Formats: sequence, structure tokens, C-alpha cells
Amino acid sequence: MIDVTHLGKTYRRGDGTPVEALKDISFLIERGEFVTIRGPSGSGKSSMLNIVGCLDKPTSGTYRLNGEELSGYSDKQLSHVRAWKIGFVFQSFNLMPRTTALENVEIPMIYGPGRVDRKRALAALERVGLGERTHHYGTELSGGEQQRVAIARALINDPPLILADEPTGNLDSAAGVEVMGILRQLHQEGRTVVLVTHDDAVAACAEREILFRDGVLTSDRKIAVLATE
Amino acid sequence: MRITSGIGIAWRSMSRNRLRTFFMMAGVMIGICSLTILDSVGENTKRETMKRFKNMIGTFDTVIIRPGAGKTRGMVSLTNVPPTLKFEDAAAIAAELPEVKQVAMLQNAFDIDVKYKDKNVSPAIFGVSANWLDLRGDEVAQGNFISEEDMQSLARVAILGSDVLPVLFPEGDAIEKTIRIGDVPFQVKGALASRGAGPGGGSLDNLILIPVTTAAKRLFNRDFLTMLIAQVREPEKSDAAVVKITALLRQRHHIAASALDDFTLTSPQAVMAQVTQMGSTLSTILKGIATIAMFIGGAVIMSLMLISVSERRKEIGLRRSVGASRRDILLQFILEASLVSTIGGLIGIALGLGGTNLVAQMQHLPPILALQALEWTAGLSVGLGLVFGIYPAWRATQVDPVKALRT
Repeated sequence: MIDVTHLGKTYRRGDGTPVEALKDISFLIERGEFVTIRGPSGSGKSSMLNIVGCLDKPTSGTYRLNGEELSGYSDKQLSHVRAWKIGFVFQSFNLMPRTTALENVEIPMIYGPGRVDRKRALAALERVGLGERTHHYGTELSGGEQQRVAIARALINDPPLILADEPTGNLDSAAGVEVMGILRQLHQEGRTVVLVTHDDAVAACAEREILFRDGVLTSDRKIAVLATE
Repeated sequence: MRITSGIGIAWRSMSRNRLRTFFMMAGVMIGICSLTILDSVGENTKRETMKRFKNMIGTFDTVIIRPGAGKTRGMVSLTNVPPTLKFEDAAAIAAELPEVKQVAMLQNAFDIDVKYKDKNVSPAIFGVSANWLDLRGDEVAQGNFISEEDMQSLARVAILGSDVLPVLFPEGDAIEKTIRIGDVPFQVKGALASRGAGPGGGSLDNLILIPVTTAAKRLFNRDFLTMLIAQVREPEKSDAAVVKITALLRQRHHIAASALDDFTLTSPQAVMAQVTQMGSTLSTILKGIATIAMFIGGAVIMSLMLISVSERRKEIGLRRSVGASRRDILLQFILEASLVSTIGGLIGIALGLGGTNLVAQMQHLPPILALQALEWTAGLSVGLGLVFGIYPAWRATQVDPVKALRT
């Protein structure tokens, strides 16, 4: 599913000095895996997630998604990949202001299928347990509810890959458990889930852990899956 | 992304930020509104001026010849022209110049007492030739006009202008009645339809027409004319006719090569061109001012769009992350700017048309919809949004989704 070989990413600072955020990274993630990427801040894990999510391009090495080599892709092609193959879940939810839950969920349909299917959007909200709150604005929802709207939005074009960047970082523990429950369910349906987190309890949901430090992949190991509650 | 979804997004964004949308629209609205008013009022005034001018001079294929070297101001009459232009001059121009189709003659005076029983009026008396009707575009409302026989026989017949008729004959039955012009009895032969207002707004109908020969021999006792109207065969070549007529008259009047003409030629086309020119210079200046207003409107759109883009970086990042390409973002913001300026422009046009009819009403002009103006103002308002939306939209495409989504 995700095939990264000798991948590097170098940024230029404001003053022009180069910063190596990722150095010679190689790993392979199979379809249906639940992987957590961990490491201290500045270790390169977020850079890695952005490249995997096609929001950013590597400066060296190759990245294949489903066997497609993406380094030569145009902005339009990458956007197509993001629309159909990838669902993002962010720490800060990133719901649109002054927009209802339903409208938020509908946004990816504008760019993927090209037409909004309201029934599917309602079904997606139903799925994350928000069937009653479809016409509420983001500000009228709790953090957990907002994140569930974001998950419904990530799922609306039925992507095989879910990328979650600290999805529980802004949530209380109860809401966090709820959100992780949904992510685990997505994994059980056969979707590939890549999760960036600081939280040990959250990381424990995954079956594999990749550690980053100073832009280098330091450890890649299987972990025991905790029994679900 | 489909255009229809883009318009939908733009519409929702506009309705979520009503105040911003209002200010973005305001500039375009005011600019387009004043442009519409200026344009239609200008068009209106020009048409009305042309109409009045045409009322006065009749047809456009004529050259007017007046005695005197261009010093005569206003309307000629026996009291204010030198006695240089003769009946023989008219006959010579008609006979000798192939460019000239026919020549009408005028010998006129103002404020002549006219009586019928106990009724009195003091209209202008126009001694005219039988072809006057052709060249001036007058219409006979009742009876008949002066004929060639009337000219030959110095008939004492009169044609009443539409201001004179109702005063002398309130019952309207004037034909074959005898009126007295000065002390000379004339038989009413016909009456004219109204010509409407002249360029100054005054009436052109307060007159009585009689045969010019009768006027010269039986009423005024003068052998010179106050005006000739030469109709040219080819209106496009009226300049050549002017040259020929000038040469002929100079020769007939024995004017030395070094001396000035003792007559003045005017071709209505030249005067018309001048009048139209004046009108269009004024409206060009006004249009310039309104266009500046429009550009200020455009600049307002651009700066508010730029602010909007930086406020909406998160939205842009989010849209990019769920599959929007740079092109989609560009399209979205350009559509938003265009929609704002189009709606603003349409409101402006509506207000402008209201304003135009108000102004027309105040000036007692018929309301006219300058349709061609509508087309280009509508086009302008769409284009304004497009042009001033491009830069902010491009800036939106440069938003880095990674940075925009990080908090």
C-alpha cells in the first residue's frame, strides 16, 4: 500500500539554510495495517505524514501508493489521489466555520465525484453517531463530536487510507476513546490506518509502531494488540 | 470541481459574510449605476438635440445660403441682412450647377400684424418658393400648399402655421377665409402640421407662409432674399457643391479675388457634426470619471478578497487536503469575485435605470433604455470581478496546505 524508499525531505529556512527533516527513510506498509508513527516533536513524523498524504513532496527517494510512483505527479494528479485515496483526520478537526456538520461532510464530494450526494453525507454522519446533529454548526458541537464530523468527512469518498495526526490531542479521554473506537472499526473494515501520536494509550491501539528521531527512522516493530474493551 | 459547485461555494461564502460582501459590491454598484445614468442620459440628450436640430433645418442634404459674411446671428430677416442675395442668384444656382437638384427661396420678416375679423396675431411672415415643402420636411395638415402657379401669378394665398391657426380661427375652419397681412388681403389656402421645438426650445410654428414672389412684389416690396436652401443631388458630395456655389456667387456678385464673400454657406451636416461632437466630448469625460469610480470599486474588491484569502487560509488548506487542486482554488476565488461584482453591477444597472427615468422626467424627455449601454455595463461588471479577482485568487493557490492546517 505505502512503499517508501530512501526518502528524504529538505526544507529551506527563511535565511536559506537547509534543514533535513527526513533522511533516507524506507518502509513498507501493507494494505489493512494499523500503524502508529511516534517520536518527539521535530523528529520528522509530521513531515512524513504530509508526504504520505500527498500534501507535500519528497526532495529525494520515491513514494509509491498502491504501486503508483507519485514523485512525477502534477498538482492536479496529486489532488485526485487525495480526493479518492486518502482521508485526513487532524488534531484541530479543521471544520469550516459557519458551516453545518452536513455541509462539512459534503466538501470532499465536490472534488472527488464532482457532485454532492446528500444521502451519503447523512449516512456517513449516522455512522459516526451524529445522525441527530447534521444541521449543527461546528461551534455548537463538543470536541468529540467535531472530530467525529471530521472522520465522517474523511470517509465520504470511501478512501482505502486514513491518516490521523494526533486525532485525540485536543480531546478529553472519554471522547478520545470514542474516536479511537471509530478508527479501530475502520481498520477492521480493511482500511489502512496511519496514526501519528504522542499518547501511549492511543498508540497501543495499533499493531505496528514506527519510531522517528531527528529525521531518521530508528525503530519499526510489531506490537501486541490490546484486547478491546 | 464543477462550475456549478464553484458558484454554490461562492454563494455560500458571500452569504456567510454579508458585510464584506456588501462593501465589495458597493463600489461596483455605485460605478455601474452612475455609468448607466450617464450613458442613457447622454444618449437621451444627444437624440433629443438631434431631433430638435432636424426640426429646424428639415432635410440633411441641403446647403443653406445666407446674405452677409457670417455676421448674422440667429434667424435671418429682411431687417438684418444686406440686400445682396437676389432671385436671379437662386435661378442661376439651380440652372447652372448640376450638383444642385433644386433651390428654395425665402424672404421673411418677423412681427407682422395679421388680422381676421377681430382677431390679431403677429407671426413671422415667410415668403417661400413652392418647393419649400420638399426641403424643409413640413407637412400640410389641411388644404394645399403654395403652387408654381401661385408663384407665377403672385397669388395672395397664405398657409398658416399651427400656432397661428387656432388664434385666428378658434373654430378651425380657415380655408378660403380672407385674412389681412399688414394691409394686404390674403386667402387662406392651407395650414401646416406642427414642427415641434427648435434647438433653443422655442416654437417653430408661429408663422404664415406666402409665395415668395407675392411677398417681394405685393407685401414687402424688396427684391432681395434672406435665405436660399440648395438641395444637393448627392449628400456625401455636399462639400463639392459648397465650393461650386461659392464660386458661382462670387462671380455673379463681382467679388474681387482678394475680397471676402458677401454671403455665408452652411451645410447642416457640418453643423450637426459639431453638435454631436460637443455632446460626445462631454459624455466621454463623464464616462471617464465613472470608470475611475469603477476601478476604485475593483480595488476594493481586490483588497477585501486579499484579506479574505488570508483569513481563510485554513479553509483553503482543508479543501486542498480533501482533493482540491490549485486550479479548483483559483476558480473558486475568481468565481466569488465575479459573482460579487456581477450582482453588484446588476443592482447598479437597476438603480441606474431608475435614476435615468427620474432625470428624463425632470428634463421632460421621453425615457429611453440605452440597450447597448446595458450590454457593456453588464460585461464590465463581470469583467471587473474577473480582473480584480485574479490576483487574490492566485494568492489563494499559493497557500501551503501543510502550514495552513498546522495549529
